[in-house]
Amino acid sequence: MKLLDKMVAPLDKALERFDPLKKAEKGTGGQRDRYYDKTGVAKWREWRGVKDTMVDYGAWLNNILSMVQMVASAPVPILKGFWEYRWMGSYLGTFMFIDRLFEGYRGPELQIAHMNMHAIVQSLTKRIAFALKNDARFGGGPDTMNIIPHDETITPLFLKGFKGLYPFPLQTLPEFIICDIDQHIEPYYIDVAESYGLPADVCSRCAAETGVAIDDAFPLFGRVLLSTNMPCNASEATSMFQRRRYAKPDFPITLAMQHNNPEALPYSRETLQNAMAFVEEHYGVKYDWNEFFKYARLMNEQNTIELEKWDLFKTPYSPLSGIAESLYRLYSWQSVNGQEEYFNKVDRKVIQIMRRCYEKKYLPFGGKTRHRAFLWGPSAVYYTDFPTWTQNCWGITIVLNMDSTMGYNIINTEDPEIAMDDITRFTEKACMRHHAVGGWENINAVWDWAKNFNCDMVLMNDNIACNGMLGVHGMMEEQARDLGFHFIFIEHDLQDSRTVSRQDMRNCVNKYMSVVLNEKPLDPTIVEFDDAEAY
Amino acid sequence: MKDLKHLIFFENLLQDAQNELVEKAKSEGQLALGYNCYYIPEVLLNLPGCFSSRLRAPRCTSTDIAGYYMTNRSCPYARSILERAIEGGYNYLDALFGAESCATMDRMETHFTLLHPVKNDRFFVTHIDPPMKGDKTNLDYYKVQLAVKVLQPLKEKLGVDTSEEALRSAVEKHNRLCRVITEIGAFRRLPNPPITGYEFHVMQLVSQVCPQDLILPYLEETLEELKTREPEPTFPFRTRVVLVGSEVDDPEFTKLIETCGAMVVADRYCFGSFPSREEIEILEGESAFDAICRTYLHWNQCARFMDGMKIDQRHDEVERLVKEFGAEGIIYENMKFCEFWSYEKVLASNIFINERHIPTCTIEKEYALGAVGQLRTRFQAFIESLEIKQIQGGK
Repeated sequence: MKLLDKMVAPLDKALERFDPLKKAEKGTGGQRDRYYDKTGVAKWREWRGVKDTMVDYGAWLNNILSMVQMVASAPVPILKGFWEYRWMGSYLGTFMFIDRLFEGYRGPELQIAHMNMHAIVQSLTKRIAFALKNDARFGGGPDTMNIIPHDETITPLFLKGFKGLYPFPLQTLPEFIICDIDQHIEPYYIDVAESYGLPADVCSRCAAETGVAIDDAFPLFGRVLLSTNMPCNASEATSMFQRRRYAKPDFPITLAMQHNNPEALPYSRETLQNAMAFVEEHYGVKYDWNEFFKYARLMNEQNTIELEKWDLFKTPYSPLSGIAESLYRLYSWQSVNGQEEYFNKVDRKVIQIMRRCYEKKYLPFGGKTRHRAFLWGPSAVYYTDFPTWTQNCWGITIVLNMDSTMGYNIINTEDPEIAMDDITRFTEKACMRHHAVGGWENINAVWDWAKNFNCDMVLMNDNIACNGMLGVHGMMEEQARDLGFHFIFIEHDLQDSRTVSRQDMRNCVNKYMSVVLNEKPLDPTIVEFDDAEAY
Repeated sequence: MKDLKHLIFFENLLQDAQNELVEKAKSEGQLALGYNCYYIPEVLLNLPGCFSSRLRAPRCTSTDIAGYYMTNRSCPYARSILERAIEGGYNYLDALFGAESCATMDRMETHFTLLHPVKNDRFFVTHIDPPMKGDKTNLDYYKVQLAVKVLQPLKEKLGVDTSEEALRSAVEKHNRLCRVITEIGAFRRLPNPPITGYEFHVMQLVSQVCPQDLILPYLEETLEELKTREPEPTFPFRTRVVLVGSEVDDPEFTKLIETCGAMVVADRYCFGSFPSREEIEILEGESAFDAICRTYLHWNQCARFMDGMKIDQRHDEVERLVKEFGAEGIIYENMKFCEFWSYEKVLASNIFINERHIPTCTIEKEYALGAVGQLRTRFQAFIESLEIKQIQGGK
């Protein structure tokens, strides 16, 4: 490789003038130069030097291959899916979405980011094909009645003890992932819900889920619906809509809200056992602990590697950070949850790269990191590349996102009794629950997290309709002042980019960085720009 | 109708959380125990030597300080309670028993711990984790929560007698109050009732915010008075409605609806009598505590219940009230920013209008009644539509 580096070095030098990072350094341009105004449409791909451009291009081809495989595996259902479901069209923006996520990434940062991202793409494409192949709206398939549709905030791992059944997170395809890709898709569903009478001041994500339900845009399969009280009030409320519209026997998995309290575990454990009995009754399949243990081992390995990653995140030498870290952890934990060994393979490779970087004391992002930030509060789903922007514009590295701190306890894989307690604790600490639900102590823990990860800054995502986090606004400000953290509230509307635009979000950071800290941007072309029409 | 003897007295009691009866009970050495939600059974707070006080923030016009802590985008009821606490309006409290019924309520109650707004050295706050289903697993959890977060601290921190005997005595006292309120409320079923919805609302509220021992004689006297009270010669309203929704602790809201022409014949909202005034029956072999938990979980109509049985129950209950109280329509209200009732009113109004064919109007309101012009217009339009239905023979 060193020889290759030497060979391409003159070429890199000659073509440096096309590299947006170098252009920003010299004051001759930057990341935004290659875009058509207002859009996310680039006039040309980012030039990252010969080697990294090839890595990027290779990843692009690899992702295309997954898309082709998806279409080839179920051409007719996929075509019908495009015809039936509005959200399907937004998946065409996947490539622009990925390009946007990893702008400015080079070397091991880029390599790891693409490995993580491809894991998601290959998994999602298979899921889309599987869902549409078995969608009862298109006549169904061999597994239509073997699927267990469940709320996406329920971790599916505990359902893996049902051999031959397939847990499927119902909202992930039409609502959650799609908003990550396309900021214009959810407003349609939000409008559907509001036309039905829902007030506009509730959480837009749950409004969007309600809209999808009213629009009958969930894929239809399975014998039951497993809903849940996780993670928050609006999510609970929208579940009541979804159960009605989905019109299948439902079981709400209502885990303890105050999950740190000792009396919570027996209750939540019994609730999960009741859910298992409900599935057994409706599907006629007995729970098989040995089958569960197979997948629990995979999850345990992922969590073991994750904890090692956290140790490396605490140093300045981690090539994994920002959206490459948080999107992967969110998907691999909440959605995959030990079900796909591919993710373990990726984790094993990634941790090796990270170890090498640590040994070499490699400084990521060209050593331009100025601040290490902890990202707290639910992130705006319509601005997935926000951490990439903070890195490229102001040198703020998002070291860890709150959603990455979800259940990391190791699950016993030999004794069902102990395993039941472990899986209960694990399930209770699902997305948003670990840190935003269960009392003030869990929210206030952010300062300890930030300190442990050597962060000097906390970025607090401020979903303007999140009752839970709005209720602690003043206390968070006071804590930040008392404890001496740089602290920025970033207002957003979670899934409705019309209320708070991406630029409005950027302005929250811009103002703090320029007015309070008196710093200059690394790339002035991306301080203020209009991307309202972008995917 | 002739004015009720104690109505002005009752109205005055609602002007402050720390009203004259609260002060009297405190001066007699009783413990004042605050709560915000039906999930906390008030009967448990009326054990010997204690009295319950459901928190209101009457005449609250500004929530500037609470707005700093909780933003002005959160529930105005929760904000107003916090504001009143910071102003020193609840210094009479010895404890607050909170319920994480919703995130905002929980956060508001958390500020009672973090900011120490209640200037009383022994004051403390606990929060229960309220159940979201009506099954046995959730009943057991409810019992554990109430035992650990209510009875245990009452006994250990305040020295309250929580024995079976004390609980049975509290249940007996509670049932007596329930019978009186239920009997008063039953007058609203009559074609031409000798009571208005506003008057009943006032009485229901005083029964929740005043020491029960002290308010009960006045309510009993009022019940006797109502038995002989002459109603108006003809029914003075244009129609009858059931009011359903979240917190309505201001009787002026009921008055607003009634001045538009609709009598509020049943009150199925937080602070209303459905539920809250159901008697507790202790079954043979059952402990008083178990009976309390079972009764409260059974009757609870909160919009946060997620299981089909409870969802259906809350719609059936509203329909029962419509039929039994001869209502022609339903008004669903929710406090601004209240997610549970925002969803529930949409779901329920669709069910009632399209499936159960009961005319339903939905509105969103602030905690403090300020600019009521828009609400008045909505109510008038709804009442007119009900009248048109009457003219068209219900079609």
